Amino acid sequence: MTKRKLVIALAGNANVGKSVIFNHLTGLHQHIGNWPGKTVERAEGTLHFKGYTIDIVDLPGIYSLSTYSLEELISRKYIAVERPDIVINVVDASVLERNLFFTLQLIELETPMVIALNQMDIAKKKGIEIDTEKLEKLLGIPVIPTVAIKGIGIFQLLEKAIEIIEKRSSAKPVKVKYGEEVEERIAKLTKMVEHIQFYYPPRYVAIKLLEGDEEIEKEVSGTDPQIVSTAKKLETEIENLHGHSCPTVITSERYEVAGCIARGSQKLVLPIKPPIGERLHTITTHKIVGYPIMALSLLLVFYSIFTFGDYTSELLSNFFYRLEPFFSSLFGTEIVGKLVWGGVIEGVIAAITIALPYIVPFYIILYFLEDSGYLSRIAFLMDNAMHKMGLHGKAFIPLMLGYGCNVPACLGCRIMETERERLLAAFVTTLVPCAARTVIILGLVGEFIGVQWALMLYVFNLLVIFALGRLAFRTLPGEPTALIMEMHDYRMPHLKTVLKQTWFRLTEFIKIAFPLIIIGSLAIKLIEVSGLLEPIASTLSPVTVMWLGLPAITGITLIFGVLRKELTLIMLATLLGTTNFGQVLTPIQMIVFTLVAMFYIPCIATIAALIREFGWKKALFITVFEIVFAISVGGVASRVLTLTA
Amino acid sequence: MERRNSKGIEVPLTTLRDGETGIVTSIRAGHGRGRGRGWGFEKRLMDMGLTPGTKVTVVKSAPFHGPLEVLVRGSRLALGRGMADRIFVEKEKE
Repeated sequence: MTKRKLVIALAGNANVGKSVIFNHLTGLHQHIGNWPGKTVERAEGTLHFKGYTIDIVDLPGIYSLSTYSLEELISRKYIAVERPDIVINVVDASVLERNLFFTLQLIELETPMVIALNQMDIAKKKGIEIDTEKLEKLLGIPVIPTVAIKGIGIFQLLEKAIEIIEKRSSAKPVKVKYGEEVEERIAKLTKMVEHIQFYYPPRYVAIKLLEGDEEIEKEVSGTDPQIVSTAKKLETEIENLHGHSCPTVITSERYEVAGCIARGSQKLVLPIKPPIGERLHTITTHKIVGYPIMALSLLLVFYSIFTFGDYTSELLSNFFYRLEPFFSSLFGTEIVGKLVWGGVIEGVIAAITIALPYIVPFYIILYFLEDSGYLSRIAFLMDNAMHKMGLHGKAFIPLMLGYGCNVPACLGCRIMETERERLLAAFVTTLVPCAARTVIILGLVGEFIGVQWALMLYVFNLLVIFALGRLAFRTLPGEPTALIMEMHDYRMPHLKTVLKQTWFRLTEFIKIAFPLIIIGSLAIKLIEVSGLLEPIASTLSPVTVMWLGLPAITGITLIFGVLRKELTLIMLATLLGTTNFGQVLTPIQMIVFTLVAMFYIPCIATIAALIREFGWKKALFITVFEIVFAISVGGVASRVLTLTA
Repeated sequence: MERRNSKGIEVPLTTLRDGETGIVTSIRAGHGRGRGRGWGFEKRLMDMGLTPGTKVTVVKSAPFHGPLEVLVRGSRLALGRGMADRIFVEKEKE
């Protein structure tokens, strides 16, 4: 037998353990990229089994195969066009009915498939017993019970998948049967669709046309507009018969089929006492207790990340700076040596001392919280507050990430449903004082004026975020969306999956941020070596000195700050020749300087993330806006503070 | 805001008290039969299981007019209040 190549796709709802199964199957042989031209993630891996080389594609977690989101569209196109050899449909046994609703849509796509009935343990705890054989019979599809988190059933699942491919599908999936009035019209439309070439099965196209699917409507009307107009007519007929819109009728009837199968194969035995996850849910989403718990957990998270980060960051940078003599012996201390060390190597060091100590623990905790289910509870608690700035609960998560680092926060905006909300959330996020800006706020204002002033700056920052968020929300065209989110049961996260996700995020961060950080520090070093710093500082002095009332050299430090915000403070110390800022700056100057540093520009790595997510035009707009805004705020603050002092 | 239909009284989901159950009668995404986002959200709600005739239980709502926590078809959903206002239910008789 020669080595054959196979493609297996994993599909299913969000939070059903799909990625855990993916990790079991592919081990270390995997990579995460993007679907061509889209900001939707594509995870792929390879596996060798029984002489086959198997390509595993992990499709995004979705609830339906309509065109509600990019993820849904990509998934169904992938299954219909690329035609994987088999689809493994991962089903959450503890929410069977809704998961089967998705399964039925896969059946309608007429793809060969096998079901992984996952989270059998959670279902059992909830008092749900599923008769796998009965489910198999009702669906006409092989069902393998699994507990992915413990690796149970994975081997059998793979064996079954291969068996089905080799036998060329002897299974006959159930036909999703709608009511008579609907079936009649589907049949009529299917006949018409059969005449045109399309990558979806004719019956599927007919059903989707009746559901008012915009994408399919568009494609069909390109070849035969007659079909679309007939579909519209049939739609109205169904509507008149049922008193509900046609998509409603079809979705309801499909759910009816899913419900029948679920009821026919599961038995509910109420557990004697509510499971611990249930009690945890009640407490963590409680009207009163929920908030202090959230505040405490977040404080704890940030405190531990910062403590760990500060310690490790210093260790790492001490280690790297010990290499300096080695490099200067290699490249000399002349211009070349200065550029290599000060430009390239210091850039790399900067990037490493941020990425490893802060980003890694940050992601580990984030994924731990997400996988366990707590993040969705936080989104639930914060939904109302986020609406005040035109966003909904989910946006709180990137916003919160922003307090650590803006880069993962910008990338985290992908959890928002629409392009518009992703952009809004990202914009707001770049205004959040990240760890580096916290260094400035606490190190300058907190240290030399007082902690209460530092706190006031944080409060002011929050006010600005709300105000600008609202403004952006009003100006950007499009409708606001609301929160529709599943809160899955609390569960133990799968450590290996969490670590792997962290690893991929880290490599992503390196790919996005490192090139720009290095180019940026090289450019600034070049300016410095060629003696242009002074002229630039004096060119900027109308702004820095006259408008902001700061010493001229702050112009230089603000330029350095584009690389890493905390550099503004470090450079200030270097250029002023002292770390006792109280001697060289007045309190007002400190506040103005901190205000400007807080808002004036996203750092270069964040700009890189913005470009990647939204294109350079929007990234440039945000950057320019924030520069202008920061300078205005700084100048006004300087005057107001002088007057009131 | 009460509306009468042939079957009885239908009220927005948001008028249900904590722990009360209703049966979905309709979702009014606004803008009549406009497709676009209105359609998208109506469809999304139905895809999550909130189709007419479905039992839905309000577990609780977050304070200060926050989102609703509901149980539907064995799953737990968080629904923004604006969204929940557009879901009409018939109250179940005790």
